[in-house]
Amino acid sequence: MENEYYVCTGCGLLCDDIEIELDDGKVSKVNNACLKGVARLKECNRPAECRIDGAPASLEDAIIETARILKEADSPVIFGMGNSTSQAQKNAIELAKKTSAYFDDTSSFCQGPIVEAILENKIRTCTLDEVKDKADVIVYWGADPSNSHPRHLSKYTYFPRGKERQRGWEEDRTAICIDVRKSDTATICGDKFYQIPPQADEELLNALTNGLSGKVPKVSFGMGPKKILELANMLKKAEFGVICVGLGLVYSLEEIEPLVRLMDKLNEVSNFYLIPMVGQYNMRGSNHNLHEETGYINRVKFTGNDVEHGAHCSVVELLRKRTVDAALIIGSDPMSSLPGSIAKELLDIPVITIDPCNTLTSRKAKVSIPVATAGSECGGTAVRMDGVEVEFKAMTETDRMCDAEILERIMGEL
Amino acid sequence: MGFGQFLKAPEYDIKIITYRDVFQSTALESSGCGDEYAERSAVILLDKGDMKKMVLKDGRKAVLKNNFGRVVVHLRPSSYEEGHEGIGYMTNSPWSNALVSSETGGSGVPKFKMITALISDAKDE
Repeated sequence: MENEYYVCTGCGLLCDDIEIELDDGKVSKVNNACLKGVARLKECNRPAECRIDGAPASLEDAIIETARILKEADSPVIFGMGNSTSQAQKNAIELAKKTSAYFDDTSSFCQGPIVEAILENKIRTCTLDEVKDKADVIVYWGADPSNSHPRHLSKYTYFPRGKERQRGWEEDRTAICIDVRKSDTATICGDKFYQIPPQADEELLNALTNGLSGKVPKVSFGMGPKKILELANMLKKAEFGVICVGLGLVYSLEEIEPLVRLMDKLNEVSNFYLIPMVGQYNMRGSNHNLHEETGYINRVKFTGNDVEHGAHCSVVELLRKRTVDAALIIGSDPMSSLPGSIAKELLDIPVITIDPCNTLTSRKAKVSIPVATAGSECGGTAVRMDGVEVEFKAMTETDRMCDAEILERIMGEL
Repeated sequence: MGFGQFLKAPEYDIKIITYRDVFQSTALESSGCGDEYAERSAVILLDKGDMKKMVLKDGRKAVLKNNFGRVVVHLRPSSYEEGHEGIGYMTNSPWSNALVSSETGGSGVPKFKMITALISDAKDE
């Protein structure tokens, strides 16, 4: 009998080799997934409840109340999307147009600049399948996939045998880690771990670019030119190299130009690609869908046929400056993920959450709408961290509606 | 100006770097409002030398505060072989986010990875 495989929506890796067992219509066993994936695919311990002002409500009433709030708001924001199917994202964009809303997603304060540079062809990228088949040098910079994307090394980058890398990690591949601390991934990389001080990433990027340009690379911290040149030479000799960029690198750069310059230099002397270590399973999908519609990946405001874009349209600035008077949060928990001093602004405006689980944000929301969990209870498509579209089907049946359907119902009510 | 100032726990400067932990992320997937997530999030890992110098003990709690927030977390010595004097590690969570600056310079991106705070023994909190 042929095995049936499912897709895990636990992170941006979208592992497509998941086997499950069902018991009484619920996922009882998950095979091949990592710890995080198993937890994601099994029902959360505290599923969201349909509530208005803290009191139990019918789905119908919650949808009517949501439509009322959005209609009455002068400047609503629609935010989240990283844990939504592509169809839900497209529906959310339509809803933002209809309500003249701001629209932003979590990439706004994480991997956004990297995905933007990729979509604008400023940085070369490749697929994880190409990495598996061809990559001989893998650099994790400011990333610790052993904790953030536990199957990244085993499924695609360092450990597997690939078409052109039959000897795998033992002989064919070199994994390098650059980070501010000796993470679990750094431990795997052994003597190819390069520890740098916090906020020193830009200096090392520039030093490597200089080293690859024949200049003496210098940094202000305790890494001598010899050590930097040793790293530069490893990168130069790569037949197929990839830099997997984590938030440690993204957050330490004021702008990504030093990274773009290093990538350009690497591609003069070698063959290098870059993949962002996207966290949420479909954050990149939101970037792609909005880009297709507006030419921007995030941070927009719709007004009629006009689209405004910029940092002032980011969820962080909108909350900081109290620009918005209502928020529709889809598959996200900004009360947890934003700085407390900024997230607290959500307490002063009506918030609607659409989420499968009870979250800090849903607990404070005026309207909380429960939905099916994408991946286990709801099918759809998503865009993997490397830009590959992945289709997934539901594992179980549920009475709860998918996020895309809920958004359609809200549109209908409007 | 009362005598109380002499009885307060001494405060020390600390830089906090956030990181990801698979067990904490798993707890988040199970329940972002659950006890296990709180247990695994409200923790700061300190340099062993710092703990000695600051007279902070493993298993006790510490107060972390700055202009943006104040949280009480569990204290643990880190298992890193190399010292990291003046730097504490916390998983990314509402506890670390409570201390992140609201200043962004208009960029829309908070400084999640570099937090400065004062640390002190939480006494009975």
